[in-house]
Amino acid sequence: MAYFILKRLIQSVFVMIAVAFLAFSLFRFVGDPITQMTGVETSIEDQERLRENLGLNDPFVMQFARFTGDMLQGDFGYSYRTRQPVGEMISSRVPATLELGVVALIISLLVGIPAGVFTALRPRGFATQTILMTTLVGVSIPTFVIGIMLIFLFGVQLGWLPTFGRGGTIQIGGWNSSLFTIDGWRALLLPAITLGVYQLTLTMRLVRAEMMEVLRSDYIRFGMARGVPMRSLYFKHALANTMVPVITIIGLQFGGVIAFSIVTESVFQWPGMGLLFLESIRFVDIPVMGVYLVVIAFFFVLVNLIVDILFAAIDPRLRVMDTA
Amino acid sequence: MKMQIISSSALAGGAMLLSVASASAESFKWASNTDPQTMDPHAVNSAPVLSFLNNIYEGLVRRNQDMSIEGSLAQSWEPLTGEDGWRFNLRQGVSFQDGAAFTAEDVMFSYGRASNEAADVRSWFAPVSEVRVVDDYTIDFVTKAPNPLFPDSIANFMILDKGWSETNGAELPARDAENFATMHVNGTGAFALASRDPGVKTVLVPNAGWWGKVEHNITEATFTPIGNAATGLAALLSGEIDFIQPIPLQDVAQVENRDGFKVLEGEETRVIMFGFGHEHDELLYSSDVSGSNPFQDVRIRQAAAHAIDIASIDRVLFRGKIEGASQLVPAGISGYSEANSDRPAYDPEKAKSLLAEAGYPDGFNFGLKCPNDRYINDEALCRAAASMFAAVGMNAELSTGPVRDYWPQLREDAFDMYLLGWSPGTFDMEHPIRFLMSTPNSEKKLGSWNFGGYSNARVDELLPGIQREVDPEARQAMVDEVVAITQAEVAYIPLYTQPLIWAAKDNVDMTQRADNFFMLRWVTVN
Repeated sequence: MAYFILKRLIQSVFVMIAVAFLAFSLFRFVGDPITQMTGVETSIEDQERLRENLGLNDPFVMQFARFTGDMLQGDFGYSYRTRQPVGEMISSRVPATLELGVVALIISLLVGIPAGVFTALRPRGFATQTILMTTLVGVSIPTFVIGIMLIFLFGVQLGWLPTFGRGGTIQIGGWNSSLFTIDGWRALLLPAITLGVYQLTLTMRLVRAEMMEVLRSDYIRFGMARGVPMRSLYFKHALANTMVPVITIIGLQFGGVIAFSIVTESVFQWPGMGLLFLESIRFVDIPVMGVYLVVIAFFFVLVNLIVDILFAAIDPRLRVMDTA
Repeated sequence: MKMQIISSSALAGGAMLLSVASASAESFKWASNTDPQTMDPHAVNSAPVLSFLNNIYEGLVRRNQDMSIEGSLAQSWEPLTGEDGWRFNLRQGVSFQDGAAFTAEDVMFSYGRASNEAADVRSWFAPVSEVRVVDDYTIDFVTKAPNPLFPDSIANFMILDKGWSETNGAELPARDAENFATMHVNGTGAFALASRDPGVKTVLVPNAGWWGKVEHNITEATFTPIGNAATGLAALLSGEIDFIQPIPLQDVAQVENRDGFKVLEGEETRVIMFGFGHEHDELLYSSDVSGSNPFQDVRIRQAAAHAIDIASIDRVLFRGKIEGASQLVPAGISGYSEANSDRPAYDPEKAKSLLAEAGYPDGFNFGLKCPNDRYINDEALCRAAASMFAAVGMNAELSTGPVRDYWPQLREDAFDMYLLGWSPGTFDMEHPIRFLMSTPNSEKKLGSWNFGGYSNARVDELLPGIQREVDPEARQAMVDEVVAITQAEVAYIPLYTQPLIWAAKDNVDMTQRADNFFMLRWVTVN
């Protein structure tokens, strides 16, 4: 197992370098950082000197090598826009994004799994059809529209929940958390729902499909014939077997939740990594964009790894294969 | 890391929450679409930074509600005798927020800092040859030539404390890495920085030791950048913020129709215009003209000007909120040429006959470049203009893009015609003449935004005189001549002055200044 994890971590370094390379080859099409860093009255010579100082005149390969070299030494560089250290900027935004992503995931599981089971057990009921229809609508509307609709309903019309930001946050060590204040939870609710809607639908449909499949299998029928209580059959035997593929997909999707929280963060002015990335694009803040993409790549690798480990824990057969 | 509870309200349940907004009247919350990149007043010459920091730092002079110059850290100023330049008599008894006394040494230090290569604001000091401290409260700025506009041009030159900067290693503005002044402040102004989380929240509190007369009633002011316009509007309408600048034109009605909110409208000093590739010898984006550039013929440029129907643009795109522009500054700005205040009439027939006269009876096509995130309705404006050009036979191939990509394209001459907005940084006509109408000359730092390379010897000859002339009438005569020349030659097609639209709660009084700067010291919450 240790060898397996080590192998995956080494692979992740190559994935990150590849992502950094792709990102860097695209950055020159994003725009010119210098015109975003200077005022209109700044002379062309001053602009050129700045460009030279930042190494923007160097060939692409050299800029990339410098970026990767610095990164490997733990030096993430300085933001063009704010001149702050990029490492600090991004790490200060990680808690907001992670808390949002995790809460969105929990909401989607807490609602999605029971709903999936329910709709599988009553495949043709009126309630099932209603649920399926509603979630289909939920998944067809773009995230930012859902966000704006929730803001206008619960924030502006009803005035129950805040429309932007994180509300009250508490510093615990280096972690800036909004999970320990009522204010923080109120601010978290709408963005988490917005971000979780797609996941919720996916989870529900996946659980439903898998569950219906499992319910048709022989051992369930045999159990029924033997008079095993239905509750135990559904929730112990059927659901456990349903969860194996569900966990894989949900796990892999979680990387996407973090990466695509950009839209939700922008709509709710949620001060996470995604919002920072958007601001950085606007200002052609290449160091921040580069590090963000590498961090996200690392995240995907990490999530994949965790899913693999979980998988082995749930399905004993895989453990045997791994040692082979 | 410090343990800090920023705000933890123990409220739950909908009904109680509604009363939060009116709880403390003097804590003021506002939002804008861009966070100031830095707290260093010399590091970035951009409106979000200078506007924000004008609440904390002060200059020798400052702009009043109507944009006129008044004394700030300098009580008075007069031209030097026997040489060119200005003497500033400094205010006594002023101290920085850390308690240090303000003296001429601080001005001298700030000059050195702001004119250093690492400073983005150094162009303000290009006319200065020497600065001399006369005594603790007198300082001379010697200029290379007479410069009547110099005091106006340094209204945003903010003064740092020498001792504080040196103690904290912030002698120079941060260019590459951050330094102490990126996140900390020590000004003489009406407000001090209580906390800052870049891109998230910045809190200001009144400076108890401020020398000026306090007109505001704010006890705490919280700034949040909100990039998404719909989110910003929702934040205002839900009562979470008291004020936002700017709001999109299409949201004006929604704010006005709600009780308890108001829209503040004004004219920004920014004039929107079309520019031509004067020095291009051929069109780059034309499929039917090659080897020549019709826009080099003044009749074609006139035709383009006559093709534009400003009244329709105003009605359809701007809900009647714009004012047509005849020159590169709006009326009211110093140097505005009253003698040349007529803009070309909308006259498609005349445009067509001018085209025919110039040898293009069937018109031609060309490339029009526009930004899509820089000015209000910029892309829609260009679409409308393109159809107006097409109506007289000039078929514009429109391409639009974000501004981060737009300026580099203009610098590389990748256009036949382009859109530009210009706000005169010094609030004087000399500014656009220097940047947009002078023949580009990087050595003399002229024409750096004259992308099309418009060049007229007489205009170049008049500019130094406009910069030096002390007699207002003689100066205006020269400005009038420049405006007349550039109008006759259609150097640019000035279109309109950009509107300025802010929104606030009804109970907040504030001043909307034409440079789009927001000054907390003029805010009262009732």
